[in-house]
Amino acid sequence: MNLNHFQAMLLFAFAISVAFAFLTKRRLEERVKYALWAFLAFLLVAVAVGWLMYPISR
Amino acid sequence: MVEPKQREKQNAPNGRARLAVGVAIAGWFVPGLGHLLLRKWGRAVVYFLAVGTLAVVGLALRGNTFSASWDAFDMLGFLADLGAGVFYFVSKFIENAGPDVSRAAGDYGTRFFATAGVLNLLCVLDAHEIARRRKA
Repeated sequence: MNLNHFQAMLLFAFAISVAFAFLTKRRLEERVKYALWAFLAFLLVAVAVGWLMYPISR
Repeated sequence: MVEPKQREKQNAPNGRARLAVGVAIAGWFVPGLGHLLLRKWGRAVVYFLAVGTLAVVGLALRGNTFSASWDAFDMLGFLADLGAGVFYFVSKFIENAGPDVSRAAGDYGTRFFATAGVLNLLCVLDAHEIARRRKA
Protein backbone atom coordinates (compact mmCIF):
# COMPACT_ATOMS: atom_id res chain seq x y z
CA MET A 1 0.00 0.00 0.00
CA ASN A 2 1.21 3.47 -0.78
CA LEU A 3 -0.37 6.82 0.05
CA ASN A 4 0.93 10.23 -0.86
CA HIS A 5 1.33 12.94 1.78
CA PHE A 6 -2.08 14.46 1.18
CA GLN A 7 -3.99 11.16 1.19
CA ALA A 8 -2.27 10.10 4.44
CA MET A 9 -3.13 13.46 6.00
CA LEU A 10 -6.79 13.20 4.92
CA LEU A 11 -7.17 9.69 6.33
CA PHE A 12 -5.42 10.57 9.58
CA ALA A 13 -7.46 13.76 10.07
CA PHE A 14 -10.74 11.96 9.31
CA ALA A 15 -10.19 9.05 11.73
CA ILE A 16 -9.00 11.28 14.58
CA SER A 17 -11.70 13.94 14.08
CA VAL A 18 -14.54 11.39 14.19
CA ALA A 19 -13.09 9.61 17.24
CA PHE A 20 -12.55 12.91 19.09
CA ALA A 21 -16.09 14.02 18.27
CA PHE A 22 -17.49 10.84 19.84
CA LEU A 23 -15.16 11.13 22.84
CA THR A 24 -16.00 14.72 23.67
CA LYS A 25 -19.59 15.33 22.51
CA ARG A 26 -22.80 13.47 23.26
CA ARG A 27 -25.42 14.82 20.84
CA LEU A 28 -25.29 13.88 17.14
CA GLU A 29 -25.50 17.49 15.96
CA GLU A 30 -22.62 18.51 18.25
CA ARG A 31 -20.56 15.54 17.09
CA VAL A 32 -21.02 16.37 13.40
CA LYS A 33 -20.09 20.02 13.98
CA TYR A 34 -17.05 19.12 16.07
CA ALA A 35 -15.84 16.45 13.63
CA LEU A 36 -16.08 18.87 10.71
CA TRP A 37 -14.36 21.64 12.64
CA ALA A 38 -11.53 19.36 13.82
CA PHE A 39 -11.08 17.85 10.34
CA LEU A 40 -10.76 21.28 8.71
CA ALA A 41 -8.49 22.52 11.53
CA PHE A 42 -6.17 19.51 11.03
CA LEU A 43 -5.90 20.25 7.30
CA LEU A 44 -5.47 24.02 7.66
CA VAL A 45 -2.83 23.73 10.37
CA ALA A 46 -0.90 21.06 8.41
CA VAL A 47 -0.91 23.20 5.25
CA ALA A 48 0.05 26.33 7.25
CA VAL A 49 2.94 24.54 9.00
CA GLY A 50 4.04 23.18 5.60
CA TRP A 51 4.22 26.70 4.18
CA LEU A 52 6.01 27.99 7.32
CA MET A 53 8.72 25.38 6.78
CA TYR A 54 9.03 26.15 3.07
CA PRO A 55 11.84 28.77 3.47
CA ILE A 56 14.04 26.26 5.33
CA SER A 57 13.27 23.34 3.02
CA ARG A 58 16.40 23.81 0.87
CA MET B 1 -25.85 -4.49 62.70
CA VAL B 2 -25.78 -3.53 59.00
CA GLU B 3 -29.03 -3.97 57.10
CA PRO B 4 -28.80 -5.97 53.80
CA LYS B 5 -29.93 -2.95 51.77
CA GLN B 6 -27.32 -0.74 53.43
CA ARG B 7 -24.62 -3.38 52.81
CA GLU B 8 -25.66 -3.50 49.15
CA LYS B 9 -25.23 0.28 48.92
CA GLN B 10 -21.80 0.10 50.56
CA ASN B 11 -20.66 -2.65 48.19
CA ALA B 12 -21.98 -0.94 45.06
CA PRO B 13 -18.97 1.38 44.57
CA ASN B 14 -16.61 -1.62 44.83
CA GLY B 15 -18.66 -3.52 42.28
CA ARG B 16 -18.60 -0.53 39.93
CA ALA B 17 -14.85 -0.15 40.37
CA ARG B 18 -14.31 -3.82 39.48
CA LEU B 19 -16.63 -3.51 36.48
CA ALA B 20 -14.73 -0.40 35.35
CA VAL B 21 -11.40 -2.22 35.51
CA GLY B 22 -12.84 -5.18 33.57
CA VAL B 23 -14.32 -2.86 30.96
CA ALA B 24 -11.01 -0.99 30.65
CA ILE B 25 -9.04 -4.21 30.11
CA ALA B 26 -11.57 -5.47 27.53
CA GLY B 27 -11.52 -2.08 25.77
CA TRP B 28 -7.74 -2.07 25.67
CA PHE B 29 -7.48 -5.61 24.26
CA VAL B 30 -10.17 -5.16 21.59
CA PRO B 31 -10.81 -1.50 20.74
CA GLY B 32 -14.47 -0.66 21.37
CA LEU B 33 -15.21 -3.82 23.37
CA GLY B 34 -15.38 -1.83 26.62
CA HIS B 35 -18.13 0.35 25.19
CA LEU B 36 -19.85 -2.69 23.72
CA LEU B 37 -20.02 -4.28 27.20
CA LEU B 38 -21.58 -1.02 28.44
CA ARG B 39 -24.12 -1.21 25.59
CA LYS B 40 -22.79 1.93 23.90
CA TRP B 41 -23.10 0.40 20.44
CA GLY B 42 -22.43 3.48 18.33
CA ARG B 43 -19.30 4.48 20.18
CA ALA B 44 -18.03 0.88 20.18
CA VAL B 45 -18.28 0.68 16.37
CA VAL B 46 -16.75 4.13 15.80
CA TYR B 47 -13.79 3.48 18.14
CA PHE B 48 -13.15 0.04 16.66
CA LEU B 49 -13.20 1.43 13.11
CA ALA B 50 -11.06 4.49 13.95
CA VAL B 51 -8.40 2.54 15.86
CA GLY B 52 -8.56 -0.42 13.46
CA THR B 53 -8.25 1.75 10.35
CA LEU B 54 -5.24 3.64 11.71
CA ALA B 55 -3.55 0.42 12.88
CA VAL B 56 -4.15 -1.61 9.70
CA VAL B 57 -3.25 1.25 7.35
CA GLY B 58 -0.16 1.94 9.47
CA LEU B 59 0.96 -1.66 9.04
CA ALA B 60 0.00 -1.75 5.34
CA LEU B 61 2.22 1.31 4.83
CA ARG B 62 4.94 -0.86 6.40
CA GLY B 63 5.32 1.21 9.52
CA ASN B 64 7.52 0.07 12.38
CA THR B 65 6.15 -1.38 15.62
CA PHE B 66 8.36 -1.14 18.69
CA SER B 67 9.32 -3.91 21.11
CA ALA B 68 10.09 -3.44 24.82
CA SER B 69 13.51 -1.86 25.23
CA TRP B 70 15.44 0.19 27.80
CA ASP B 71 15.97 2.95 25.24
CA ALA B 72 13.64 5.81 26.27
CA PHE B 73 12.28 6.54 22.78
CA ASP B 74 11.80 2.85 21.97
CA MET B 75 10.00 2.39 25.28
CA LEU B 76 7.65 5.31 24.53
CA GLY B 77 7.00 3.88 21.08
CA PHE B 78 6.36 0.44 22.59
CA LEU B 79 3.88 1.83 25.13
CA ALA B 80 2.04 3.77 22.42
CA ASP B 81 1.94 0.72 20.11
CA LEU B 82 0.85 -1.58 22.93
CA GLY B 83 -2.19 0.66 23.41
CA ALA B 84 -3.62 -0.74 20.17
CA GLY B 85 -4.26 -4.05 22.01
CA VAL B 86 -4.93 -7.01 19.75
CA PHE B 87 -3.72 -5.10 16.68
CA TYR B 88 -0.25 -4.95 18.24
CA PHE B 89 -0.19 -8.69 18.92
CA VAL B 90 -1.29 -9.61 15.38
CA SER B 91 0.79 -6.92 13.66
CA LYS B 92 3.28 -9.49 12.34
CA PHE B 93 0.45 -11.37 10.61
CA ILE B 94 -1.20 -8.29 9.06
CA GLU B 95 1.93 -7.21 7.16
CA ASN B 96 4.28 -10.12 6.50
CA ALA B 97 6.90 -8.02 4.70
CA GLY B 98 7.80 -6.18 7.92
CA PRO B 99 8.62 -2.50 8.39
CA ASP B 100 10.29 -0.33 5.76
CA VAL B 101 10.93 3.19 7.00
CA SER B 102 13.31 4.03 4.16
CA ARG B 103 10.27 5.54 2.37
CA ALA B 104 8.10 8.38 3.68
CA ALA B 105 5.06 6.05 3.62
CA GLY B 106 6.75 3.69 6.07
CA ASP B 107 7.40 6.57 8.44
CA TYR B 108 3.74 7.63 8.18
CA GLY B 109 2.80 4.04 8.98
CA THR B 110 4.83 4.15 12.20
CA ARG B 111 2.96 7.31 13.29
CA PHE B 112 -0.41 5.87 12.24
CA PHE B 113 0.10 2.79 14.40
CA ALA B 114 1.33 4.76 17.43
CA THR B 115 -1.67 7.10 17.06
CA ALA B 116 -4.01 4.09 16.95
CA GLY B 117 -2.53 2.95 20.28
CA VAL B 118 -2.81 6.32 22.00
CA LEU B 119 -6.33 6.85 20.64
CA ASN B 120 -7.36 3.46 22.02
CA LEU B 121 -6.01 4.44 25.44
CA LEU B 122 -8.27 7.53 25.33
CA CYS B 123 -11.21 5.25 24.46
CA VAL B 124 -10.29 2.98 27.39
CA LEU B 125 -10.35 5.98 29.74
CA ASP B 126 -13.74 6.98 28.32
CA ALA B 127 -15.15 3.47 28.91
CA HIS B 128 -13.70 3.43 32.43
CA GLU B 129 -15.32 6.77 33.28
CA ILE B 130 -18.68 5.63 31.87
CA ALA B 131 -18.51 2.42 33.93
CA ARG B 132 -17.75 4.49 37.06
CA ARG B 133 -20.76 6.70 36.17
CA ARG B 134 -18.63 9.81 36.07
CA LYS B 135 -19.61 10.32 32.43
CA ALA B 136 -22.75 9.63 30.37
